[in-house]
Amino acid sequence: MNRRRVLQRRLVAAVLVLLSLALLTLYFREADNGFVHRVQDGTLRVVAPLQEGSARAIQPLRDGWNWVADLFGAKSENERLQEEVETLRAAVAEELTTQAENDELRALLDMRRGRIFPKDVEFVPARVIARSTTAWYSTVTIDVGSDDGVAQFDAVVNGQGLVGRIESVKATASQVQLLTDQQSYVDAMVVPGLAEGLVAGSVTGTVSLQYAAKSEEIKTGQFVVTSGRQGSIFVRGIPIGQVESVGSQEVELYQSVTVRPSVDFRKLDVVMVVRR
Amino acid sequence: MSARQPEAENATWSLPSGGELARLGALLFAALLLQTTVAPNIRILGASPDFALIIVVCVALLRGAQVGAVFGFLTGVLVGVALLEPLGMSALVYVVVGYFSGRYAETADLSAPVAPLVGVFAATLLANVLFATLQYLLERQVPFGFWVGRVLVPSLVLNTLLSAVFYLLVRRVLGGRGVLRADQTA
Repeated sequence: MNRRRVLQRRLVAAVLVLLSLALLTLYFREADNGFVHRVQDGTLRVVAPLQEGSARAIQPLRDGWNWVADLFGAKSENERLQEEVETLRAAVAEELTTQAENDELRALLDMRRGRIFPKDVEFVPARVIARSTTAWYSTVTIDVGSDDGVAQFDAVVNGQGLVGRIESVKATASQVQLLTDQQSYVDAMVVPGLAEGLVAGSVTGTVSLQYAAKSEEIKTGQFVVTSGRQGSIFVRGIPIGQVESVGSQEVELYQSVTVRPSVDFRKLDVVMVVRR
Repeated sequence: MSARQPEAENATWSLPSGGELARLGALLFAALLLQTTVAPNIRILGASPDFALIIVVCVALLRGAQVGAVFGFLTGVLVGVALLEPLGMSALVYVVVGYFSGRYAETADLSAPVAPLVGVFAATLLANVLFATLQYLLERQVPFGFWVGRVLVPSLVLNTLLSAVFYLLVRRVLGGRGVLRADQTA
């Protein structure tokens, strides 16, 4: 009897492990409309409203938690911002000396005034209903999907700037790959100036501008926006962040540029999907 | 020990009763909600508590390896669906964690108050190693220093601190019999 019990226990565990491996393999090998993805879609239709309800219910607690966290960081943040204001003032005064730079600043101002998107672009407002809990993925789930016209690779923005892009779409919900995700790459440029590169996330949450040529002068405090080059999924001029530090080593081909994102990813709540 | 021997001699595994299934279902639902809505909003030292893992371990400690593995699988699948993560990844990790936590309960003396803490600590370590290995196999960045300092250590601290409260809550919800020891089942 006991031997049978032991065999049964081991068999159940082995079957479940194999089933998990089969799910994982199918998930990566099949198309987006494959069986496992459709099961996930169907289940999400039931789970998403629950998530939305509980996300709303927990909102005051989340705000309270963030408020406490902000309080601890307020003093050092204030000092850092004061320094940043001084740096920005100096940089702006210097950059305003040439017409070309003026044009860039004008473009930046246009962007700031919300004129960066073409008139025919349509926005789909969405609410964040879930976030990844592991350090390996920087993703959130939003409450709009293909039923609302959202498609894979659509840009996602909020009032502060670029949030990320749509990674996968289900009928009633979508997954957004945040700018900070280690597999996120965005065509970007530094303004004012001509430097271009790829803004990449990382597992540590650090965002950097990669492939910026050494010949281009990049300064701390400059703005980084989407370049909107041909083939890019993002329109030109969406704010990404500001240059936090610039480094360059002789052995490296490109500059090492760290970017502080405009978006506070901890407080993501309402976002907009930019329909192409 | 000997008082439980007759029960063990006649013990054959069968499906849990309706009431037991309802209680396990309620715990599954709670694990899903906590993991998908509360956990992402709590970040201490860069890590979020893994409520689902803690509840899987507590269920396994109280109900054994077989129930622990099944409960872990279902929790992992639902968490994978809700967070739109690669399906099967969390399921695989939670099955292994549920099974070995259950085996720990079946073979070790759980009368010591620190037993649930030890169980959750070891399960968190195992889960993080498995998650990191899977990430590595999926060709994602897994910097060792970051993993230890920003993922593993904070997770171990957070999950272990929460384990005592969750163990008491889960034990209260499940009630009834505890897990049968290995010497009574094998």
